[in-house]
Formats: sequence, structure tokens, C-alpha cells
Amino acid sequence: MSAVTQLDKKEELPFYEPQGDEIELFMHAYEHKLPVLIKGPTGCGKTRFISHMAEKLNLPLYTVACHDDLSASDLVGRHLIGDGATVWSDGPLTRAVREGGICYLDEVVEARKDTTVVIHPLTDDRRILPIDRTGEILHAPDNFMLVVSYNPGYQNLLKGMKPSTRQRFLSMSFDYLPAPAEVEVLINETNVDKAMAQRLVVLANTLRELKDQDLEEGASTRLLVYTATLINTGFDPVKACRAGMIEPLTDDPDIVAGLMELVQAAFGSAEA
Amino acid sequence: MEEQVGQIWDRLITRVAKQGYAKAAVTLDQVKGPLGVFFRALGGDSALRVTATTATLHKARRNWLQRVAGSGRKVELAWQDETCLYLPAQLDVFPDRQLNRDLYFWLAAMAGARVPAEVHQSRNWIVDNQQRTLHTLRQFQGLHPRYLSLVQAYIALRPEPERLKPEAAAMEQAIQQALIQPGSVTALPEARFAPDPVALWLHPDPPRSAGLLNSDDAQDRNASKGQTRQTQQRRRQAERVEKPEEQGFTMGVRHEADLFSFAEFSKMDRATDEEDNLDQAENIANDIDKMSVAQDNTTVASRIKFDLDLPSEQEDDIPLSEGVLYPEWDFKKDQLLPNQCRIIPMMSRNAVDCELPDHLQKPARRLRRQFESLSARPQWIRGQYEGDKLDLDAYLDYRGAIASSGSAHAGDPRLYYQKRPLIRDMACLLLADLSLSTDAWVNDTSQVIDVIRDSVHLFAESLHASGDQFAIHGFSSRRREHVRFNCIKDFNENYDARVRGRIADISPGFYTRMGAAIRHATDLLGKQPAQKKLLLLLTDGKPNDLDRYEGRYGVEDTRKAILEARNQGLIPFCITIDEEANQYLPYLFGHQGYTFIRQAEQLPKRLPQLYMTLTGKLLGG
Ligand SMILES: Nc1ncnc2c1ncn2[C@@H]1O[C@H](COP(=O)(O)OP(=O)(O)OP(=O)(O)O)[C@@H](O)[C@H]1O
Ligand SMILES: [Mg+2]
Repeated sequence: MSAVTQLDKKEELPFYEPQGDEIELFMHAYEHKLPVLIKGPTGCGKTRFISHMAEKLNLPLYTVACHDDLSASDLVGRHLIGDGATVWSDGPLTRAVREGGICYLDEVVEARKDTTVVIHPLTDDRRILPIDRTGEILHAPDNFMLVVSYNPGYQNLLKGMKPSTRQRFLSMSFDYLPAPAEVEVLINETNVDKAMAQRLVVLANTLRELKDQDLEEGASTRLLVYTATLINTGFDPVKACRAGMIEPLTDDPDIVAGLMELVQAAFGSAEA
Repeated sequence: MEEQVGQIWDRLITRVAKQGYAKAAVTLDQVKGPLGVFFRALGGDSALRVTATTATLHKARRNWLQRVAGSGRKVELAWQDETCLYLPAQLDVFPDRQLNRDLYFWLAAMAGARVPAEVHQSRNWIVDNQQRTLHTLRQFQGLHPRYLSLVQAYIALRPEPERLKPEAAAMEQAIQQALIQPGSVTALPEARFAPDPVALWLHPDPPRSAGLLNSDDAQDRNASKGQTRQTQQRRRQAERVEKPEEQGFTMGVRHEADLFSFAEFSKMDRATDEEDNLDQAENIANDIDKMSVAQDNTTVASRIKFDLDLPSEQEDDIPLSEGVLYPEWDFKKDQLLPNQCRIIPMMSRNAVDCELPDHLQKPARRLRRQFESLSARPQWIRGQYEGDKLDLDAYLDYRGAIASSGSAHAGDPRLYYQKRPLIRDMACLLLADLSLSTDAWVNDTSQVIDVIRDSVHLFAESLHASGDQFAIHGFSSRRREHVRFNCIKDFNENYDARVRGRIADISPGFYTRMGAAIRHATDLLGKQPAQKKLLLLLTDGKPNDLDRYEGRYGVEDTRKAILEARNQGLIPFCITIDEEANQYLPYLFGHQGYTFIRQAEQLPKRLPQLYMTLTGKLLGG
């Protein structure tokens, strides 16, 4: 474990704790110019994985957080008002295609439908990006790679990706890390002590078990990191858990109260 | 020892009844919500419901209660069995409210904490409770301070050993030491009488311990064991729960559907191909299992008949047509058998126009407000020749095109946004399973059917407010010739008092031939012009019917029907309260195609929320 960490530190890679063989798979995908789709619940390390890989492959990374207002021109580019005239300005996708690099579309199912029109020709063997507004057709260089991600909960049922889009990507599934690995992540990210990291991870896994009955979503690694950060800076653990792990998961006062009892039981002050 | 425990228990009850600080009392109802979450989160079996011990008085526990508590006396201490965590309906042990509240959570923690198998509550009361206490504190260090303050306050309330006669003093001493230093007392000193009870510990003799049963109880015991087994397996599948009778105990849960399919199987032509037999053998084995359960009670057979008779024509709902024929998928033949099932659209005969029931007024008001905002949201349409505001992007493109071509006519002059009320182009058909199984009880006051009725009410209120097009239908079946399709609201009907009357009139029907019902719903929904069409199935169990629709056949046919719906561009989604749902629903609807609501009582609240979640994000597309 520590060997990996040291290696990462030396090369100044963003710390990433692998789930399985995703690093190798990603390298192969890059080599063969295949686009990649990453599925997984929120805050499980997707974004971190991509930035890690971008560093590792020494590629610039263009990240686009998709939202329901994001349209094709947000990706491709638009005319802007320049020095007394209009100037064309590349969007992040166009820039990545021109210059090479990873273009990462986070939560791609959120984006408007017209975005698929620009994604499709890039993901088959043509690897081109036609820009209607300027009449250009760009050919993606070898070091261009498209990566998209989404969270496949039922909340996305009606928005889910069309099979014709989905089947253009190599896909990998992410989930929250097994407890010992997640403990390592917490220690690495926040310097929290090991015993506390372990207790937090136990709490998180308890909350994850409640998914689909009392909670819609389990606590993410991201929330764990937040909470550990608070605790590590001297914040009372019970209060930190409330703000970092309980309140973000539910608005139901009964559930908050019940979970806070749990937090009390696990983190209550003064060991006897 | 057992004898003694019984006495302890007796004293405990007496004492609990005598003692108490009414002003500081905390009721279970006040803490039930958080307590349930807490208990499940601790690792307590999440299938368990938190219930007041008193609520069980009229249930299966009566004889046991009589035995332990003496007739008519109330028993209130914590224990759990396979279906419930029982806690006192009210705690007033301490003069301080906070302590009484803490005691609830402490008891739930004791019950929920994981303990090694050898710690059984009734093997040795004093040793086991100390062990449990230790395990609980070890797992949840944060409980230490609370436990200490509880013990401190509690010991102050207990008799002082110095004031007791030597025998009693030794015993009391032992208990107090066990509380202060759990694990340090290995046995209760011998005495001719029982010590005072301990409110911080679990039930000294929970009903599942078998040692003390006399022969009368043994009978009840079997019955309730049977009940539990069924409950575990398929709690709400085709059950009919009867209110217990005054005299003695009647078995509460029964499986008419299964019994009947067993009867069917045994009558059935067994000379089919071998594969068939294998499948059936499994089913039959299951059914025999349940049969033996049912044998405890001789009234079963007669009641089944009654359950299955259709109401007389004058009383039954009004058929709207001769019916529509639908095919059914035979997975063994791997083909669609044409004209297998008859869907009979029906209209309630007895429905009376009505308003929303009082207890739903408040949630409905809130939901209406929430859903109205869905339709009120305006939308900006771009690419218009004229409009409310300039689309700067379009304008710049336009200028860019002119500049680069040098011609004033290049480019597309659609440069404006227009503001329009948003039209959610959305149609939803809610298909509610109204089979016999919805007759089961979800808690002491309501049945599955009540919960479904309330859910449908709130669903209708919400969708009406949203402006989305919607229809509501129910279904149940009695073999393939008779699949009832209860019309509650058609797409082209307005939502009004008549529709509410029909919702109020919803009642449990027969069996669950899902495939046919889904096919008919697909037809109705498919005809709608909307862009997104959501087919919501609300159910409490697996497909089943009196004939071979039981088991694999029904599941395969239902799956086929869902695939057909999907191929037509509909989006099927299932909401279930069946605890076994994860065993077959992923196969039917896909992992993302269903959701399981563990607490059936939550369904009315959850259904509109779910609709909101499913469709709320549509706006962006
Ligand atoms: N495998 C991991 N190795 C290192 N850090 C991790 C790992 N998984 C999660 N983290 C931590 O969790 C945080 C959140 O992860 P990240 O932002 O990658 O989540 P995500 O999957 O992209 O979530 P979302 O879907 O919400 O965008 C990271 O900033 C990092 O601190
Ligand atoms: Mg991310």
C-alpha cells in the first residue's frame, strides 16, 4: 500500500486507490483509441480516477460537468464578441480534439440531447468532429480520448443513455471501495488517524446499507473525506458527522434524528 | 432457573405497572420514527418493524401473555421475534424525560447489536443480559456515557440491598453489580423468590423460547411458528389476515392462493413432459410445506371457497365490454399463445362521488403545491424570428456568418428566445395490483389495500396538479378467462369527485395475472400522443393465478409483456412492497426498473415523490 503511495507522490500523480484492474483497462483503451464510459454512484472516485490517468498518460484533461442546460455548442464552441467583430471560440471538446488530450464529460446523461450528435462521430472509427457553425471538420489525433460518466440510479431511468450511444464505449463500473481501501483513502486525503478513519468507514457502510429503504443514496467517499477533514481540524466528530454525512443524505427529520442517535452511539464523546 | 425467571418477570410487570413518573413519560409513538432508523442502522434486521408491546396483546401473544403476566396484565418490555421489535408503548421509568428517551434507544441498541450466537436471551437471564450489554457497548463506544447515566439513575430507583433481608439483598447486590460492571456476575444467587426486574435489559422470557411451554401453548406455538415461517417467506403474497378472535388464538395468516394452486396441481394432468414435472414438483413441495401450516386450522378449506367465488352479477362491478383477448407467453414452448387471456374492463358498481379523505388533506395540499410548480415553470424556446429576448449566441453566429462571407444575406436570422409555458409532454398510466394479497395487514390499523388506496389518492392529486396526462387502473384475475381491469380514471376523463369515489371503492380482488394486465395497459398508454410514456406498476407480490401462472410461467409471461411495452417505447417501472422483490423484479424490470418500499405505510408519501424523481429531470431534454 505505502509503496504505491510513495510512487504516486514521487511522480506527483493525484492519489488514486484502484478498485480493480481499471488502470490497465484504461491504458489499453487509450492505446487503441477507444472511448470509455464509467458508471458509478456519486463521489466514488470517477473524477479522481480520470485526473490520475490523465497525469499518468501525460495528457491535458478537459472536464465538462454536464447539466440539463448543457448543449452541443457548450461543447463545440460558439461565436463571441471580439475586438469590434465576432470571434469563434472553441468549446472544451473542440479544444481537446484540436490539441489532443482527454475530454471527460461528467454525468453525461444530464446534458441535452443535441450533444449526442457531436459525440457519435467522435466515438466510432471516423473519430471526427464536424463543426457546423464554422464548416470545419476536425480529425481527432491519436492522443485524443473521450471519456464519459454517469450514475445509473433509477433517478436517471427516463434519461438513461440510448443503447446506440452506450454501445460506442468501453464500459467500467465503479462502486465504493472495500473498507480497508477506503480507510487508506481517508488517511491519504485528510491525514486523519487510522482509528478514526476506520470508524468513519464503518459508519459510511452502515449508511450505505440503508439505501433504498431509509435513504435514497448512501454516503459517498467524498462525504467521508469532507467529514474526516472537519474532524481532523479539531471539529467535534458528532457535529462533523451530522454536517458531513447525515444532513446531506436526507431531509426527513425522523431519519436525521435516528441516524444522529447512531452517530452518538458510534462517536459520542467520553469513553468510559 | 426458568421457574425463577418466570417469577422475576411477574415481579417486573407488577413493578413496571406500579412505578412510573407519568409526567416524564415518553411514548413509543414519539420516538418510533428515529428509533426504527436507529435500530436498522445498528444492524438490526431491517425487515423488522418497531411495534409497541401492548399492540400485541390482541395478537398471537395472548396465551403467552397470560402465562407470564397473569391474565389481563400489561407487559411492557423489549423483545424481538422474527417480524417485530417489541418495545414498551410508553416508558416512564425515570423522572427525567431525556432518560426515558435514552432508555428507548438503549433497548433498541441492545436488541439491534450483533451478538455471538451463544448469547441467547433466555438461557441465563442475568449472564446473557450482561453479555449483550458488553457487546453493545463494545460496538458502540459512544453509548458508554449514556449507559452510565442510565445505570446511575436506575440504581437510585432500585431497593437498597442494605435494607433488604439477606437473601434478597444478595440478589439485588448481584443485579446492581451486573449493571455497574457488566460481565462480572456469573450467576444469580439462589433464593426462594425472584429479584426486582431490570428495565435496562431485554425481556427475560421472550415468546420464542420453547422451554416453558405447556401443551396448550405448544399448539399455539406451532401455529405462530408457521405464521412466522410464512411471514418470512412471502409476507404479503396472497395472504388473508384475520382479526384474531376473542377466544384463544386463530392463526392469522394464510395462503389461499398457494393452497389452491396446490389443489390445482394435484388435480392437474401430470402426464406432461418431464421438465414440466420437475418444475411443478418444486412448486408442489413448496405448497405442501404451506399446506402443513394450514392444517393447524380446519376452517381453511371452507374459507377458500368463499374467497374465490365471484360476487354475484348484481353485486359485482359492471363489465364495460365483453372483454379483449390478449396472447400469453409460454416459456416452455417458447411462443406466444394467441388469444389466451380475456381482459374485462370493469367499472365499480358501488362507488359514490366523494372528496379526499380527511387524513389525506394535509399531505395532498403540500403535494399539490409541489406539483403545480412543475407545470408553472416557463421555458425559453430559442431559434425564433421574434421573441422576448435576444439570443446572443445566435446573434453572434449570425454576425460571424455575415462577416466571413461578406454577404448580408448569409446566416440564419432566427435570433430570439420566446418564453412559453412549459408543456411536459408526458403521459403516465398507473396500474395497481388489486389482488387478494392486498388484503394482508401492514400494521395494526391498516391493510395493504388501504395503503394502496391512499397512495392512489395522493398520486391522483399530485398528477392532477402537475398537468401531466394520466390514467389509473387496477387489476386482478381469476384464471386466464377472467382478468379484471378496473377502470379508475381513463386518460380522457377529468379528475373529479367521481374518480375519487372509485378510488375510495378500491378493494382486494383475486389473483395476479400481470402479463395480460400489462399488455392491456400498454395498449392504452401506447395510444397516447405524449412523447414520454411511463407505465407504473404498483404491486405487493409476484405474478400468480390459479392455474399454471404460478411460479416460473407467470414470471416469464410478465417479463415478456414488459419487454413488449419497452419495445413500444414505453418506460415500465415497478413500485413494490414485496420483501422478496429483489429475487424476481430485477429479472422482470431490470435493476434500475423498480424500487422496493420496505415500509408499506410509507407508500402514499413515497409514490408521488417517486413520480417526481422519475419525471422531474425530463425538463432539460
Ligand atoms: N479510489 C480513490 N482513490 C483516491 N481518492 C478517492 C478514491 N475514491 C474517492 N476518493 C476521494 O473521494 C472524492 C470524490 O471522488 P470523485 O470526485 O472522483 O467522485 P466522482 O465519482 O467523480 O463523483 P461524482 O459522480 O459525484 O462526480 C475525491 O476527491 C477523493 O478525495
Ligand atoms: Mg465527478
